[in-house]
Amino acid sequence: MAEKFDNLEEHLEKFIENIRQMGIIVSDFQPSSQTGLNQKLNFMITGLQDIEKCRQQLHDIHVPLEAFEYIDQGRNPQLYTKECLERALAKNEQVKGKIDTITKFKSLLITELGKVFPEEMAKYKAIHGDDPPS
Amino acid sequence: MTEIFSTLFGQTDAQAPQGSTALGFGPGKPPPPLPQTQSSVPAQIPPQHGDEGPPVRKPGVMNEPFYLLRELPVGNDLTGNTNLITHYNLEHAYNKFCGKKVKEKLSNFLPELPGMIDCPGVQDGSSLRSLIEKPPVCGNSFSPLTGALLTGFRLHTGPLPEQYRLMHIQPPKKKSKHKHRHHRPQDPMPPETPSDSDPKKKKKKRDDDPERKKKKKDKKKKKNRHSPDHPGITGTQPNSNSLR
Repeated sequence: MAEKFDNLEEHLEKFIENIRQMGIIVSDFQPSSQTGLNQKLNFMITGLQDIEKCRQQLHDIHVPLEAFEYIDQGRNPQLYTKECLERALAKNEQVKGKIDTITKFKSLLITELGKVFPEEMAKYKAIHGDDPPS
Repeated sequence: MTEIFSTLFGQTDAQAPQGSTALGFGPGKPPPPLPQTQSSVPAQIPPQHGDEGPPVRKPGVMNEPFYLLRELPVGNDLTGNTNLITHYNLEHAYNKFCGKKVKEKLSNFLPELPGMIDCPGVQDGSSLRSLIEKPPVCGNSFSPLTGALLTGFRLHTGPLPEQYRLMHIQPPKKKSKHKHRHHRPQDPMPPETPSDSDPKKKKKKRDDDPERKKKKKDKKKKKNRHSPDHPGITGTQPNSNSLR
């Protein structure tokens, strides 16, 4: 799995470096640079071919669109991962709190109902059985 | 008044349910006690003619002593009661992203990427969102450029026009305690030299260098124009870097 990403990363780095060098050549062009530029253009096309080949290996990889928004804003996409984890943990704690509160309420309710309606609660426990501690 | 109430609530059975549903209240009188034969046996739908399977217990309303008593739902093993980060073995990831401070800028995530990548993509039309909304034409294969096609990439000599020069501006590199110098060939912007240790000097030099370059080039051009030995550049604008 990591190899697929490493392969793509390598091709992308080479491609970007090639484009950067083309930019340097073009920024102050000399006639002697024409052959080099032509070579770089063909390197660019082979680079695109290599990246296209990598695409087949990564067809099952899904990237959330929200991560793209971070990149478009010039922000680190790892912040998206961080915020996802923090939100998940916060929600987990919130739900755990609700479960604990409702469990306590249930046990209190059964206790109090048992005091007020002992016969009915005995029938209820006979139907549902002794509720396991949750 | 009591006669009116008795006429309202003591009506026949056909009308009483209508009244109760119209008001939205349940029946005022408690339900009659169930016959003993039914109370001990759980409620079952009597098998219809032609049914051969076992009688199905109705999960909804049951004729038990408790009205609307339903079966408890099947409990899930995985609830919010469990620490899901531990359950899915994400502790390492959590410590990595939330334990340490993650830097804000995109250039911290991609330090080797050239150009100004910390600017929003909307400004220069390089956003990923625009790529998703308007995907480029795909499907054609990539074929190398032939000699005839490469003639379209013949450029004029000289530097780029000023309006295009900003594309090559690199963001100021941060000072690093560990001086790892990556030697790159011929950057258009002046690279950091060992003598440029002070940020003020760096800024001054960077501000001055493009201006100095321009001045030098202008001087050269003027000299070349006025010199008798100058061969004379072909026709049109000598300093434009446009494609033929």
